[in-house]
Amino acid sequence: MEATHISRFGVGDKVKQETDIQLMERIGWHQVKAVEDRAMRRNFWKAFAFMSPAIVLVCGLLLMPVVYNIYFSFTKWKKFAGLDEFAGLSNYAKLPGNPYFDEAFYNTAIWVAASVVFPLAIGFGLAVFLRGVPMGNIFKNIIFLPRILAPTAVAVIWFHVYAPHGVLNSLLGMAAGRPVDIGWLYQDNTVTPAIIATFVWQSVGLVMVLVLLGLSAIPKDPLEAARIDGATSGQVFRHIVMPLLLPTLVVVTILSVLSGFTTFDLLWVMGVGYPGQRTLSLAVYMYFESFQKGAWAFGSAIAVIIGIVVFSVTWIQTVMQSRVDKMTR
Amino acid sequence: MNFKTKLFSLAFAGLMSVSVVSAYAGDVTLVHDKPFWAEALQKVADAETKATGVPMKQNPYSPPEQYKAYMQSSIAANDPPDIFTWWTGGVYEELIKTGAIADLDDVWVDLIKSGEFSEGVRDFYKVGDHIYGVPLHLSRWIVLYNKADYAKAGISEPKDWAEFVANAEKLKAAGITPFVATTQDGWRGFIWFEEIMLRTNPEAYMGLHTGKVTYDSEPVRNAFKIWADWYAKGYFSDPRSTEEVADFAKNKGAMNLIGDWAIGLVEKAGMKPGTDFGAFIMPNMDAAMPSSTILEGSPIMLSVKGKAKPEVVNALKYFVSVDGANVWAAASGNALGNAKANPPNDIVKKINADVAAMKTVSFPRWWEAVPADLQGELVAELNRFMLTPTMETAESVMANAQKLNAAHWADKQ
Amino acid sequence: MMALATPQIDFAAIEARERVSTKKKWPSLIVAALVSMIWVVPFYYMAVSIFKTHPEYTANNPLSLPEGLSPIIDNAISAWNTAKMGMGLANSAMYGLIGAALAVFFAAMAAYGLSRIDFKRQNFWFMLIFSGTIFPFQIYLIPLFFAYQKVGIINTHFGMLLFYTAVCIPFPVLVLRNYLNGLSREMDEAARMDGASEFRVFWSIILPNCIGPMTATFLLQFTWIWNDLLFSTVLGNRDDVRSIMNSLQIFHGSYTTAGPNLSLTAALIASLPAIVLFLLLRRHFMEGMRVTGL
Repeated sequence: MEATHISRFGVGDKVKQETDIQLMERIGWHQVKAVEDRAMRRNFWKAFAFMSPAIVLVCGLLLMPVVYNIYFSFTKWKKFAGLDEFAGLSNYAKLPGNPYFDEAFYNTAIWVAASVVFPLAIGFGLAVFLRGVPMGNIFKNIIFLPRILAPTAVAVIWFHVYAPHGVLNSLLGMAAGRPVDIGWLYQDNTVTPAIIATFVWQSVGLVMVLVLLGLSAIPKDPLEAARIDGATSGQVFRHIVMPLLLPTLVVVTILSVLSGFTTFDLLWVMGVGYPGQRTLSLAVYMYFESFQKGAWAFGSAIAVIIGIVVFSVTWIQTVMQSRVDKMTR
Repeated sequence: MNFKTKLFSLAFAGLMSVSVVSAYAGDVTLVHDKPFWAEALQKVADAETKATGVPMKQNPYSPPEQYKAYMQSSIAANDPPDIFTWWTGGVYEELIKTGAIADLDDVWVDLIKSGEFSEGVRDFYKVGDHIYGVPLHLSRWIVLYNKADYAKAGISEPKDWAEFVANAEKLKAAGITPFVATTQDGWRGFIWFEEIMLRTNPEAYMGLHTGKVTYDSEPVRNAFKIWADWYAKGYFSDPRSTEEVADFAKNKGAMNLIGDWAIGLVEKAGMKPGTDFGAFIMPNMDAAMPSSTILEGSPIMLSVKGKAKPEVVNALKYFVSVDGANVWAAASGNALGNAKANPPNDIVKKINADVAAMKTVSFPRWWEAVPADLQGELVAELNRFMLTPTMETAESVMANAQKLNAAHWADKQ
Repeated sequence: MMALATPQIDFAAIEARERVSTKKKWPSLIVAALVSMIWVVPFYYMAVSIFKTHPEYTANNPLSLPEGLSPIIDNAISAWNTAKMGMGLANSAMYGLIGAALAVFFAAMAAYGLSRIDFKRQNFWFMLIFSGTIFPFQIYLIPLFFAYQKVGIINTHFGMLLFYTAVCIPFPVLVLRNYLNGLSREMDEAARMDGASEFRVFWSIILPNCIGPMTATFLLQFTWIWNDLLFSTVLGNRDDVRSIMNSLQIFHGSYTTAGPNLSLTAALIASLPAIVLFLLLRRHFMEGMRVTGL
């Protein structure tokens, strides 16, 4: 510890310039530190006792599997045999160019983008719009209700909404005046948008509630003052409301990205009639390869790729978030 | 309730629940992946319990890929189920290669001696020099037809290919959709594919499974041409339906190409076998070719550990005995090839007679014969064709299928 | 927070203006009602379908009103028995209650250690625990599947509880640690000087003060466990161990022949506990959102 502070005890005329080392020896710094160190170590074990159930469970069931997964991806493990055969990077080499992987990757990118943009835009719009509506609470509760349903239940309901003789087609038929028979969940160009729509239907409520919380946390005085000062609604919005809302929005975005990557329930339940189900997202593709085909090593490699992509995106976002935090301070 | 009390009552509840002992210990449990037969299998299990005194249960898994994963991992952990159902074909051989499956040669000696089973059925389950399974059911793939519709269109069971196609046209003229075919549950795409291949070029059909014939070859293209042509003529019902059996029972189509195990399901849906609907074996395009039919026979297998338990072996023996077969036939409408058991319904009786008369030859089902690795992806391609049944889709389906097929066989070299 | 010079504000005038502007917004009420229809229709659809028999459902428009109310009983009994919903509901209830409670308790212990006891490298240990949440679920599936087989806990209640507890720990640790960092230390310092052991300080002083965030995180984690499909399918797929969502998915997948009226009835039964919980504890749910730092 090379400190650069001057001895506190040098006051007045008789300033004695002693070195830091002499000072530390004089006040018995090392002895104090030794006692403190012992106390810290004792404290550590005390703290460890408190943390141990959490550490044991998390390490054993969440962290060790990650290590093993990475290990498996370098083997030739398939069905009943091959766990101990080293495969190098061959599992990873098989990925790019594999038509299913490419399509799954592309669809996942669409999913993540959509699951961030749409709930945010629509949720935000609804929040702002419903703020000024009389009896707004009823609408807010209705829109939030899907959030408490399980994705599986939502998927079952919407599977039948999209069915050829289901709700959507019959509504369209009533509007168009003739029977409409679109196979929403069976066609290449409609299956992903349809499932995304269901996802947005379910998640908009949460974004809306969070934005409403954020909006109501903004004190009214500055807003009123700004309006009195002659600012238009637009300017008030842009310069006062948005910056205060930004942290909330950033957190929502990070959560949306993670959930966009790992969406499984909706795709597995609603995509059951679509022949290309395995390409709906990387997560589904990994499940099919591992559990349907028994290609464990290959599936592990896909899981590692998902992990790496999620990591990078989350890291970029966290960096952006700390920048936003600095901006709004 | 204060916090501590809440905590302790939760912990207590937790301990109580964790200590619940599985109800399956000590019983014989047949593990399978066919929940639609759970009730029927339970009836056989109950009859077995009565007959042998050892309680027997059945445990359904779903979906099939989870069942396969469960089997793989339980064998890897050296704890396979004692008695379970499986499929023949590639996955059958894979499982046997693990060494965890017991051979049933001794059981079969008795079955043949009693005259209940033929050697042909026995050899269906042979790999190498040993037999590893007994039939859970032996089903032929036949065309069920709605007798009222046939009467309305003025047609009868076709004697040859020309009549078969002409019948379809007559039905269409009478305002009836000829065939019910769906992609329900994601596996049915191969049904019409294999049948048309079998009727037009059985050698090529078998060649597909050994890698000798490619999926983009002429025989396959011809089959797709016929199939696409029939779709274009409006011969098929909506493939997106998730209720194939109900569709047939509700007359969404006059005919349904399916395994004879569906007869029980159609009966449950309200049509009486024999009076309301009948069945025939689809004729071949070339009348000179011998009569043939697709045969499906899921096996019941025992693990080595299971075979060591006498109660498990007795359960197996009961299942394929005349009594067991009769209970099974009554409960599910399935036959399992026991010559001395009652045919489950009049239709199977009639088909048996047809087979004997025409000396019909059996072919394995595509689902079992296709290499296990390709099964899921290839059937997805066939489903894709059914949903957009044009030649354009067919070309892309053939190309994709062959790409996967070629990669598989190249790997094998 | 922006500091602005606030001149004298005429509150009365503002209020009057607000009241007037609300009155002018009745047209927007109609728009809001139309927009919220998008959210109402699927619920309405579910509500009318559960009262129909299968033939009735196929014969009519899916949105038509049911002919009578009696089919619901048959539908419910059929769905309950065929999908073994009783077992699924009991399993999920147990997994949720015990798993979430244990997780929150262990998280509270860990948060206490991390925030109330000074020791070196606190951040490292916190990140170790929190890193449980940063990986996508797919990366746990295969190793856990085989490890569970090896140890013999696959398809067991214990195995499922073990996993659910572990996976629900990291997030409450984050929340509770932040919360505890904001709590003043006077009480525990006083208790410590009085000679109380660390555990007593934790149990008698800190825990009772954390009921708010603990309840909120418990509710969130209970909901997560209740809604889980993937891990129940992979780790606990036997029919006596399955979670409710697993049972629902299997019912929907294999029995689609049975008809939408049955699947929807099953979906409703599976969701009822969550809906009831939400209506009763709406405040805590909202609190949960707030307390998680958003």
